[in-house]
Amino acid sequence: MKKPDLKKLKEIDFKKAAKDFVYGKPHEERRLGDLYIPKTGLYKHREWRGIKDTMYYFNNIWLYNYGKMVMDIVELGGPKGLIQFLKGTWRYRWMGECYLTVMHWFDRGLEGMRGPALRASAWHYRAMVNASITQIVGMFVRDQNLGGNKELHDKTIAHDETVWGGVFYPYKDQLENIPLQMIPYFVTCHVNNHVVLNYIDAVQAYGLPGDPCPMCQAEAGLFIEDDVPDFYPALVTTNEACDGSVATSVIQDWLINKPLFAMPQPMQFDDDSVLENCAKEIEGCFRFVEEQCGVEFHWDELVKHLEAQNELQRFEWEKWDVDANTPYYPINGVAQALYRIFQSQYGDRPIWHEVDGRVRKIMEKCVEEKIETFPKTRHRVIAWSCAPLYYSNWCTWAYNCWGLNTVINMDSLMFDMEIRTDSYENCLMDMAKYHEWAPMRRMAVGGLHHIFELWENMEKFNCDMVMMYDQLQCKGMQGVVGLFEDEFRARNIHAIWMPHALPDKRTIPRSQIRQIINDYMTTVMGEEPLDPTLLDFDDSDSW
Amino acid sequence: MKAKKNIKRTVGALAAAYAGLFCVFYFDLDGKLLYYVVEPFMKRHFDNMERRDPHTVPYEQIDSEYMKK
Repeated sequence: MKKPDLKKLKEIDFKKAAKDFVYGKPHEERRLGDLYIPKTGLYKHREWRGIKDTMYYFNNIWLYNYGKMVMDIVELGGPKGLIQFLKGTWRYRWMGECYLTVMHWFDRGLEGMRGPALRASAWHYRAMVNASITQIVGMFVRDQNLGGNKELHDKTIAHDETVWGGVFYPYKDQLENIPLQMIPYFVTCHVNNHVVLNYIDAVQAYGLPGDPCPMCQAEAGLFIEDDVPDFYPALVTTNEACDGSVATSVIQDWLINKPLFAMPQPMQFDDDSVLENCAKEIEGCFRFVEEQCGVEFHWDELVKHLEAQNELQRFEWEKWDVDANTPYYPINGVAQALYRIFQSQYGDRPIWHEVDGRVRKIMEKCVEEKIETFPKTRHRVIAWSCAPLYYSNWCTWAYNCWGLNTVINMDSLMFDMEIRTDSYENCLMDMAKYHEWAPMRRMAVGGLHHIFELWENMEKFNCDMVMMYDQLQCKGMQGVVGLFEDEFRARNIHAIWMPHALPDKRTIPRSQIRQIINDYMTTVMGEEPLDPTLLDFDDSDSW
Repeated sequence: MKAKKNIKRTVGALAAAYAGLFCVFYFDLDGKLLYYVVEPFMKRHFDNMERRDPHTVPYEQIDSEYMKK
């Protein structure tokens, strides 16, 4: 038996070790990169965050959310819902390969978080999981491929994920609206990005070119692979964000072969006459839904849900105020970005209100007690343009490694409005505007002066650095790279270009994204990493 | 006496289960099981699944009738 090295034992500072055990190690001593098993992104062991935060993570995040992932299914679908859920897990790849990896999505986003930042960000994740399960159960209990309920099927409208769920508020007491691709495509890219590659490959194997937006490719690939539940009698599509998605709609239309209403969003949406036209199209959509699903327009129902959505918007403004003007904002970059886009696009649901209530308490405590939630912040970063879905947690890494705190991002700022409910006309006009301000369209491909809203938001949120996403297959945004370069130079702004291919990690791997940031931080900013073990590690095969 | 013993046993079993779950959590055993066993199994299942051939789907557009209205 090997004798213990007494010299080494003597060198251990037991007092400090005990302190680290109780409170967790200081940021600079954490060595989070050492926890990874190479390639996989798995942990040799999960991070020890001190007794309080580790036990919070174990009890209130890990155990709680695993439990809720079962309870939510039963609550939303009943015992039969659970059976349908299991059938769906066996039938659809995006479900079978993704669902159980959810807690590792939490892990990636919440690495290194402590105290209120850990708690508030985790609540945002919890809301997204519940909203996802709502859709998944909704699809499976209606799915005719799985022998689902035909009556419910006939009272359901499907829509492109970029059609705002609020368009269907007047019918919420009579039908369910479920986005076609929000779970099979969007959410799975974040949770387990191995899955989406099948759909991209499927559509390219079918003969479609490989250079259009991979989001459009993947969404079309879902239908080529026949991997979408049959839960609806009719669907509403859109052209958003670009002509790539029009092509997706064509493929969907062919393979779905059901009544379809196309509700395009105009490219130049500032023109008032365009707004009127858009309002007419929403009314056309109302008629389509009424004819296809046999439902009636209920004004009171519309007002009820719009008022509830306005309440969510007002809290979002309160959050932005704290975020912009204090160091006490408890939500990290990835939780802010994903929660906001999910909530504002999917529309009013009870879980958003429940979680906002919890986050409000945490945030108010931080403000009252002046708790600096991200104490190692060296730079306040605004992230602009469309983010890499396979590496949405880059901002967690960037904070842990470099102290880059992503305080706000473009997608959070899109739906920056309340909707009037004082008259049908005002309401419809505001709904049209909200519909026009869709993800990516609002800023990224909505006109030059909108994409240049970056400058005013930089000032508003007190940012000193820009993380400029460069989606290599977005033809719209590729066209303005040079203009941004000129402006960054003229305004003397530190900006890092982050190339990516939206859902496809094979084009620009996550390690390359990190290397680009590392290079900028060392060569241009001349800074040292907070945690050098995070500079370079291999997570090429991780979820 | 017997009831006391049962309570002790139950509490002991719950404590052991809690400790076991903590080990699963701390050593990322859930992740390892999913990554090395569950995902490859499901992947094989989905790779071998028979799927509709898109070529067999006709180009008919039933919604065009609706659009004519």
